[in-house]
Amino acid sequence: MFGQLFIKEIRQTVKSLIYWLVVLVLVLDFSSQLGKLEIMPEPKKGQEEYGVHYSKDKDVIIESTLGALLEEYYRESYSTYPIGFYKSVTLSDMETRKLEEIIKEATGLDGREEVDRAIDDWYAGQEQDSEQMVMAGSMKYKPTDELSYDKFVELMEEADDILGGGSKYGAAKRKQNAVVPMTYEDALEEYQALIKKDKLSGGYARLFSDYMVIFLGIVPVFLAVTRILRDRRAQVQELIYTRKSSSIVIVGSRFLAMLVMLLIPVLVISVIPLAQCIEYGSTAGVTVDFFAFVKYCFGWLVPTIMTALAVGMFLTELTDTALAVLVQGAWWFVSVFSSMQDIRGGMYGWNLIPRHNTELNWSEYHDGFSQLMANRIFYVALALVLVALTIVIYSQKRKGRMQIRGKILANRESKL
Amino acid sequence: MEKYWQIEKVNFKYNAALHILVCIIILGLAPVLMGVANLGKQDSAKVLEMYVALIGIVMLTPVFLPEQAKEIRDLTASKYMKSAYVYAVRFVGNSAALAVFLILFVAMLKNNHCEFPVIPYFLGTYVEMLFMGGLGLFFYGLCDNLVIGYMMPIMYYIAAIGSGSKFLKFFYPFSMVRGSYTEKWALAAAGILFIIGGIALRCRRK
Repeated sequence: MFGQLFIKEIRQTVKSLIYWLVVLVLVLDFSSQLGKLEIMPEPKKGQEEYGVHYSKDKDVIIESTLGALLEEYYRESYSTYPIGFYKSVTLSDMETRKLEEIIKEATGLDGREEVDRAIDDWYAGQEQDSEQMVMAGSMKYKPTDELSYDKFVELMEEADDILGGGSKYGAAKRKQNAVVPMTYEDALEEYQALIKKDKLSGGYARLFSDYMVIFLGIVPVFLAVTRILRDRRAQVQELIYTRKSSSIVIVGSRFLAMLVMLLIPVLVISVIPLAQCIEYGSTAGVTVDFFAFVKYCFGWLVPTIMTALAVGMFLTELTDTALAVLVQGAWWFVSVFSSMQDIRGGMYGWNLIPRHNTELNWSEYHDGFSQLMANRIFYVALALVLVALTIVIYSQKRKGRMQIRGKILANRESKL
Repeated sequence: MEKYWQIEKVNFKYNAALHILVCIIILGLAPVLMGVANLGKQDSAKVLEMYVALIGIVMLTPVFLPEQAKEIRDLTASKYMKSAYVYAVRFVGNSAALAVFLILFVAMLKNNHCEFPVIPYFLGTYVEMLFMGGLGLFFYGLCDNLVIGYMMPIMYYIAAIGSGSKFLKFFYPFSMVRGSYTEKWALAAAGILFIIGGIALRCRRK
């Protein structure tokens, strides 16, 4: 029974205009972002530059972050990006006093006068060397001798809380304060990680997932909403309600069919960058992981697709409206803009749309892997819970209850 | 005039009210999600173009929603007043609601000491609202599917964020962030065409 319905649902999806629009969107997304993919060559000695990266040197992180804190305290204005949009925060007297205590504990500077003097000294020192002035960038400040890294992290988290989150002192932004130019050795190390740890295709599969997940965080909802509303528009709801198939089979087969049909174009598109990796690997003598793209499609993309589909099915079954589009749209908006704080990867958090916008940075991916796993498992579980709730609602409707049809106060005699 | 006003009253009561509520929620959340005080020109443009303009999709796309069911469409088609007038009145009413929301939001930004040219920013954002809403309205009229109506402007918005002006060229919606208004003329022209085209397509559908 499940198999038959599953095949029927697949046919329904193939006949759906919106499905082909979704496929078109995915193809355009790929061709615009990765259509001209160039495999990174091995860095050569004597190149003019090797790009920049975030230093992992704790001293550099501490000094850069404390410098930023002193400058903002001096200006009495703090820049935050709670969801990617700029937000200027002005603190109350009590909050300022709390921040002064943090500054004192981290730097030894007691009160505004000492901070002002430290800032004047820093800029006076920079002006003495005009060349250094150009290179200096943001202020750096040495911490007290007693300040351990763990204590520094604790104090900065506290400062971030006072500022309402999204500041330069939160976990994601702290490491970005320590941007340094890469040396040849750094660049070679990154390249070696791409070739040896990621077997080339792993890095590009991550980059592929990063671009695709942006669209897959929202397009499944259109498919799900259309599918659920189609029964109502075709006026076959009551007819299906009377069939022998259980609600689990009906809803489950729909969900699985849409998931499979969304995954197929993603897997097909992924063959293009995989072929490029294989071609490069054969000429450069590099071993390539043939299954990297499949692994990343399932591990990285499927949880997001499942969640967007489940939100679409649940809210549409509940309200008989296209409300899910607005809800998922809002979720997508917050997820994407907040993920922009760190698109180079490593800080995956609980974001529905985890980002890793580079084929490099394997070490950060490795460090954040357990968090990423927890994130993906959570969204699979959430999707399954929402599907289960959809089944419950569907069962109730078959019994003549919960016929809301877009009206919040409709069917008040309903027992649910 | 009385009958048009009557159409708008019914639209407001039974159709637009829910969408107006969604707009109020979206705009009400702005101070929580982003800064709305002491912003410079660029950040003000970012808030208006990337966030506030989204309510254009919410308000304009579902103009045909009350006649979604074919039976209701048949019934309204049998009435003396042409459907095109009904859609046009609803569109004008919803556009006026958008203008009111935008005036209030711009006034709030100004009151919060944000520095930006009021009239150009208001017009630029309003044009973007009409374009994105018009895009949704056109595809709703073309495909007779509200979800596709929502999908197209959302995809356009994502494409604009993802690829910048590289692919969208004159149809890039966030040009005020870069200090350019040229794109707004193209958006205005295309928006008007989409709205007229969408209503025309819907009226031809039986």
